[in-house]
Order: sequence, then structure tokens, then C-alpha cells
Amino acid sequence: MGLILIAAVALPFAGAALTWWLRRSGIGVAAAALALVAVAVLPAGRDERWWHAVEFAWAPLIRLDFALAVDGVSWPLALLTALLGLLCCLHNARTGSPVLTALLLAVQGASTAVFLADNLVLFFIAFEAVLLPMWAVIHRYGDEATRRHAAGKFALFTVAGSLLMATGLFAAVADTGTAGLGDVIAAGGVSEPVSLAVFVLLAIGFAVKAPLWPLHSWLPDAHTAAPTVGSVLLAGVLLKLGTYGLIRVAGGIAPDGAAEAAPVIAALAAVGIIVAGLVCLAQPEIKRLIAYSSVAHMGFVVLAFATGTEAGVRAALFANLAHGLITPLLFFLAGALKTRTRTGQLAELGGLRTAAPALAGMLGFAALASLGLPGLAGFWGEAFTVYAAADRGGAWIALAAIAALGAFLTAAYLLRMLKHVSHGPQAAAVEGIPGATAGELAVWSPLAAAVLALGLAPGPLLDLLATGVL
Amino acid sequence: MAAQTIDHAALLPLYLAAATAAVALFAGRAARAVLTAGLSASGAAALWLLAGPTRATFAVGERHSFVADDAAMGLAALFAGLTVLVAAVSGRRSAEYCFLLAVSAAGGITLAAGRDLITLLVAVETLTVPLYVLVAKPGRTGAEAGVTFLIASIASSATALMGAALLYAASGSVHLAGLGALADGHPGLAAAGTALLLGGLGFKLAAAPLHAWAPLVLERAPLPIAAYLASASKLGGAVAVIWVVHFGLAEGAGAAAGIVLAVLAVASIAVGNLGALAQRRTVGLLAWSGIAHAGYLLAPLGALSAAAGRDDAAGAASAALAYAVFFVLLEAGAFASLTAVRERDGGAIADLGGLWRTAPGAATVFLIAVIGLAGLPPALAGTFAKVAVLEWLASAAVWLAVVVVAGAVVGLAYYLRLARTVLLGRGAVSRRRFGLAVLAAGAALAAVSLAPQLVLEFTSLSR
Repeated sequence: MGLILIAAVALPFAGAALTWWLRRSGIGVAAAALALVAVAVLPAGRDERWWHAVEFAWAPLIRLDFALAVDGVSWPLALLTALLGLLCCLHNARTGSPVLTALLLAVQGASTAVFLADNLVLFFIAFEAVLLPMWAVIHRYGDEATRRHAAGKFALFTVAGSLLMATGLFAAVADTGTAGLGDVIAAGGVSEPVSLAVFVLLAIGFAVKAPLWPLHSWLPDAHTAAPTVGSVLLAGVLLKLGTYGLIRVAGGIAPDGAAEAAPVIAALAAVGIIVAGLVCLAQPEIKRLIAYSSVAHMGFVVLAFATGTEAGVRAALFANLAHGLITPLLFFLAGALKTRTRTGQLAELGGLRTAAPALAGMLGFAALASLGLPGLAGFWGEAFTVYAAADRGGAWIALAAIAALGAFLTAAYLLRMLKHVSHGPQAAAVEGIPGATAGELAVWSPLAAAVLALGLAPGPLLDLLATGVL
Repeated sequence: MAAQTIDHAALLPLYLAAATAAVALFAGRAARAVLTAGLSASGAAALWLLAGPTRATFAVGERHSFVADDAAMGLAALFAGLTVLVAAVSGRRSAEYCFLLAVSAAGGITLAAGRDLITLLVAVETLTVPLYVLVAKPGRTGAEAGVTFLIASIASSATALMGAALLYAASGSVHLAGLGALADGHPGLAAAGTALLLGGLGFKLAAAPLHAWAPLVLERAPLPIAAYLASASKLGGAVAVIWVVHFGLAEGAGAAAGIVLAVLAVASIAVGNLGALAQRRTVGLLAWSGIAHAGYLLAPLGALSAAAGRDDAAGAASAALAYAVFFVLLEAGAFASLTAVRERDGGAIADLGGLWRTAPGAATVFLIAVIGLAGLPPALAGTFAKVAVLEWLASAAVWLAVVVVAGAVVGLAYYLRLARTVLLGRGAVSRRRFGLAVLAAGAALAAVSLAPQLVLEFTSLSR
């Protein structure tokens, strides 16, 4: 199985190189499909804790090993990455440039490496490797007016975060004397005196990526400027790098510091939920609205993690995955809408329900999932978050109340969006637009099916997450 | 009285380089071939010594002035290789040109193995003096470059010599290993000597505050010589500083040296990055950012005092040396590919617009080098360099790590601009020359990206 683990990382990179070389998007789709298969078969023949692991010495003097491992926490995220990578390649293969497909595959490969890395130096290198291809996606294929500014802002925020994170990682490596992620976690993390410093450095790095208020300001710009597939990967994969890092790496290697800093993190998350919700209520542009809603959803994830309880961490991981399915779907739909109507302004839209019923139906479904309708994936993570926060008592009850208020805000702004886009009389921009094609529906339906499945039966995933190494 | 025995095998790379210089001077049109063959032999001899046991010679008691250990021989091979690369991108030149380059390389090889203050300073001068002639192109701007370099160089040499003299007065030894006695000597004398010596050597490295010559000279010098100044000559400065600190000052005057180096590092990072942000010319940008890189390189040494008494205290020097080697390889790649596509000078950044389409080979090497200087994958050589420095700083002085991070973030802003121009801009009129040299530089970068142990192993120092 070690070979399959390597294949899950190597296939996207190989596909990226070949797609770029031969200028054929088809190769990219094939590589992404193979990578999805490779990730999907990983649960076969698994051991306790770490299912499978491979390790090769690369540069022992800087403690860099090519060490990959997979467990119940990283596998769902790797699967999500592979699925979204394939869907993006499929989406792009119909219309877009092969170079964009190659860049998407590079993002996918590097992100998979982040999720599977079992060596902290390798983790850092993979984290950095995501930056350039994503920068190129936004800069080269983004919205004409804003792409340069947005791409630059994305790159600078990300690199600042990742280098601070690296400082924290290396401080942990120096303190524990090993760079194996699993080893450090098994040893109970770094020693008490440096724990808070390490956690703060790591948390700043991951909070930029997640993003946690007030370090989120790159995200709305990047999302608005990025092409549809770029937004999908940003929301579905790149934000997950931040939350995965926060939960697994920061929480795992500096548990004492995490406990000490938890109130601050939780307060920031709660503020983020409310601020993002209020911004969304006044937001006139659909992609920007979805981007800000990501800030709110990630606030839930971080708040759940900050509670530090087992239920809280599980809620964080679940909400993380749910967001990784729902928000990419919303971005696919918003992208489809924007290419048809050539506008994303809510004021210029309306009556989609009659003009393109299938598209409007999917948008309604995704919005309801995002606002946490019971029975869909978005519900469980946020409900458990409020529960986990309230369960800790004291001031945490106030945070739970704020989060619950945030959930109401979520409902308000998403329903407002639906009112503007789907209902009412047909706006001029919407008149005569073509409905959803079979190809589009094929790209969207796996996400919708997964949202429904997780919503109806969250148990298996919650059990899986509980087996992870944390 | 018995004459001192000399281990001639240890000196073989130096003999070969010196002989190359002598032969090249009289070789006429074959001078470049002589230089390439001779320095390749010198580099091969260095690699042979690297594979064998450590040799040392010119001993006074237990202390040797010339030590051909792994680090020295690896660096000697690197000096020889960089000089061959510069000669390869120089085109047709006179025999004197090749003679001067070979002399400079011999200085670099001596520097790598030198272990006393006099050998080090003489080696630095041997490395630098030939460049007085080489930097000066005919014409007014060439003369300006030559005079600037001459005056800055002489002033800093005098400063370094003064520092060395004070250290000798304080410790009674010119051997680096004997500088441990500084701890018992006059503290003021030791501190003044340390500051003067490191400040003077910082000139070669173009570290602030003695950095101002670098952008001016690099911009006005012929491009191949700019490549030499930015790679081999800079490596010389780095090695001199690291040797003095690691073998000498760390023991007896670690605290003073740490403070001086931390100041130099922070100043270089700030000045270099801010200067580079404002640049519109390619060589100017690389020169100013090179000042910032000198700061990153010195930063681990600046955390020296935090390392006192630790069993991995040599890690500071190892990190700095590893950074220096990765960095000069990236600089060499950037300048070699730039030389290959530009006729006379580096030109404005905008002149490189769309180079990716008109000269894909050279543009690829240039992009890898620039992205590596920014420290990002897929140019892993730069990432490893950054990892080496940050790993040490994270364990010794987190505040310096944060300074390095801040510098790298600013650096990304201008490196991305450069990369974007090469990839997406328009209008590059380029020549394609020196394909083999550019390919060799690219291959070297690819090799150290995939197998960083090649560099990390010989740059790993011990006491």
C-alpha cells in the first residue's frame, strides 16, 4: 500500500507535467481520476492508528524525510482533494486551457502531500508548494480587473503565514529532537515552556490560511478574482490546509499552548462568525458573498477546535469536510451563473427559478446545505460546535450563543441571496439564458450526493474521524 | 633545524589553479580552453581530496594554516566550477582575462582552506585584486565602476587588517584556533578587533553598511564579471566571515561577534529588500536582493551567543555555509542565463518580457533561479536554504527568524514581479548563446534540488 500512498501524491504532479508538456487536458483528467482511485483504495487492509506509512531519507541533515502516512483524519481530506481535483479538471477540460488544468493538478498534488505528510519539514515544503501554482491560477486566469492585485495579496499573505508556521515547526523540531509528526504527537508534543510560543507561531500561520478573522482579508479578493475552478480549490482544499494544520499539527504538537491560547482563538472565531455574517448581509456580489460565508464557516471550525474537547474536535473535522463539499458546489454554481449572465451583482439578477430551473434548484439545495438545514451535511458540524462550546460552561456559553446567532445570520444572508437570484421577476441579465447542461450536472452531482449522504448518515464519518491520530 | 614538511597533495587544487593562471597568460587564443581544463582538473583534485581523509599542512605545533577538510575541498571545487562557468559565458576574451579569472579562483581555493588570519586576508586580496581590472569596461561608466570598487575594496581591506591586528594584539595568535585566548585578553581590544574584522569582511559579502558599492559596480561591470562578483566573490566573503567566526571568534569572543553579526544581518535584510523593491533594472534588483540574502546568511551567525555551550553550536556556521552555497548556485544560475540572453548589460526588467517564449531554455533556468531566491518550491534549492537557516534560528533566536520571514515576504513581492514579466510580458528581443553553460547551471540547480545532501554534507561543520 505504500506505493499507492506515493501514487496519490505523485499522480497529480505527473499529470500536471504531462498536461503542460503535451497541452492536452484529457491527460490531466485521466491523472486526476487515477489519483482519486489511488486515494479511494487506501482504507483497504489498514492498520490501527496510522493505516499505512512510507518513509525514505531525503536530507537527514535538515531532518527532511519523504515520509507519508494516512489515518482517519487525513484520509477524508485527501479524498475530498482528489474528488475536487477531478471535478475541476473535468470542468476545465470542456472549456479551459490545458495549462490551467496542469496548474490545478499541481495544487492538488501539493495539497495531498500536505495532508499525507508525516514529516514536519516535508509538511512545510508541501505547504509552500501550493503557493506558486495557485498564484498563477489567479494571476493568469482570473478576473481581468482585479486579478493582479488579488494574486499578489494572496501570495504575500500566504508566504508570511507559512514562514511563521515554519519557524514554529522548526522550534518544535529543535525542542523534541524529531521531525516525525506522528512521533511528536505520540510524545505528547513539545515541552511546556516553549509550547505557547510554538502554538502561537503555528496558529498565526494556519490562521492566515484558514482564514481566521482578522487575517482573512486576502480571501474575498482572491475568491472574487479567481476563475471558478480556482475558487473551488481555494474553498475546498486550500482553506482545509489551514484548519487541518491547526487541528492536527498546531493542536497535536503544542497541546499545552493550544489549551492556553484557546480562549483567544475562540473569541476571534466567534467575532469572525458575526463579522462575516454581517458583511454577507450587505454584500452585493454573489462570489464575494460566498467567500465571506467561508470566513464564517471556518469560524465555526476554529471555535469547535478551540473547545479542546473530543466532541469539539470531531465537530471541527466534520464541519471542515462539510464546508469542503458545500462551498465548492456553491462556487461551481455561482461560476455557471456568472458565465451565463455576465454579472455577479445580486441587484441585476432575479427570476432564475423560471429561466433555468435546474440551476436554480441546485443553487437552492447548496444554499440550504450551507445554512445548516438538518438532513444535509452543513447541519451536523455547526450543531455540534454550538453543543461543544455550550458543554464547557462558563464564558463558553456566551460563545456558543454568539455562534448560534451566527447560524441565524447565515440563514438570513443565504435566503437573501436566494431571494435576489432565484425568485422575483426575471431580470434582463437572466432572460433567455441556457439551462444546466448534462456535463455541468455531472460535475455538480457528486458533490450534491455527498452532501446528502453526509447529512443523512453522519455516523460512519464521525467514527472514522475518531480513529485518527490527534 | 629541520625544515617544515609540506603535504603537497593537500595543496594540489591550489597548485593546479595557480599553474592554470600561469599557462593561460601565455596561451594566446587557447587561454579559455586552458582555463576550463585547468580549473576542471583543480576541481576534480578537490573532489578527490574530499573523498579521501582530511589533510592539513603548514603546521605550527598543533595548529595548521592550510586544512583540506571536507568543507574546504567542497568549496574549492565550487570556486573552480563557478569560475569555469563565468569563463564559459564570457565569450571570446583575451588571455589576460583568463589569467585574472584563474588567479581569482586560486585565491578562492586558498581562502576555503585557510585557517589563520594572514592566509585568509591574503586569500581574500588574491580573490579581489584581479577584479579591479575586470570590472572596468572601457568608457566612463566602466571607469566609475572600477574606481568605486577599488576604493571600497581598499578601505574595507584596511579595516579588516586593522581588526586582525587588534585581534592578534589581544590574543597573541594569528591562527583562528588561537583566538580562543581572546576570552582572557583585553575585552575592549577583542570587541574592537572583532567589529573591524567582520565589518571589513562584510564588504566582500556586500552586507550593510558596506553594501553600497555592489549595485553600482554590478550594474556597470560586464555581465560575466557581475556573475562572478555575485557568485564566486560573494562566496569568498561568506566563507571568510564564517571561518573567522566558526574557527576563531565563537570560542573567545562569541558574544561580541554575535552582536556585530546580528546588526549586520538585520541591516542588510532591511536595506537590501527596500532597495530591491524600488529597482526597475534586472541586475540592480539582483544586486540589491543579494544584499538581503547576505543578511539571511549572516542571521544564523548572529544568533551565535544563544548557542554558547550547546552541543550543536556548530549548527550556526553549518546553516550559514549551506545557505551561502545554495545562494551562490542560484545567483550563478540567474546571472549565467541573463548573460546568455542579453547583449551588453542586464537592461530593464521590462526588457525580459516574454522571454519564456523567445528563449525557453535560458528563461527556465532564470525562472528556477529567481523562484529559488524567493525560497519557493518547485525550486527546492532555495527552499532548502531557507529551511537550513530557519531551523537553526527557530532553535536559537526566534526574533531573528521573524526578521528573516519579514524579509522573505518583501522579497517575494519583487521576485514574483520579475517572474511574471519573464512568463507573461511581451517584447523581449533575446539572443541565444552559451547553451551548454546555461544547461550546466540548470543541471547543477536541479541536482541540488533533488539531492540536497550533496551540499548539506560538505557544509556540515564540526568543531
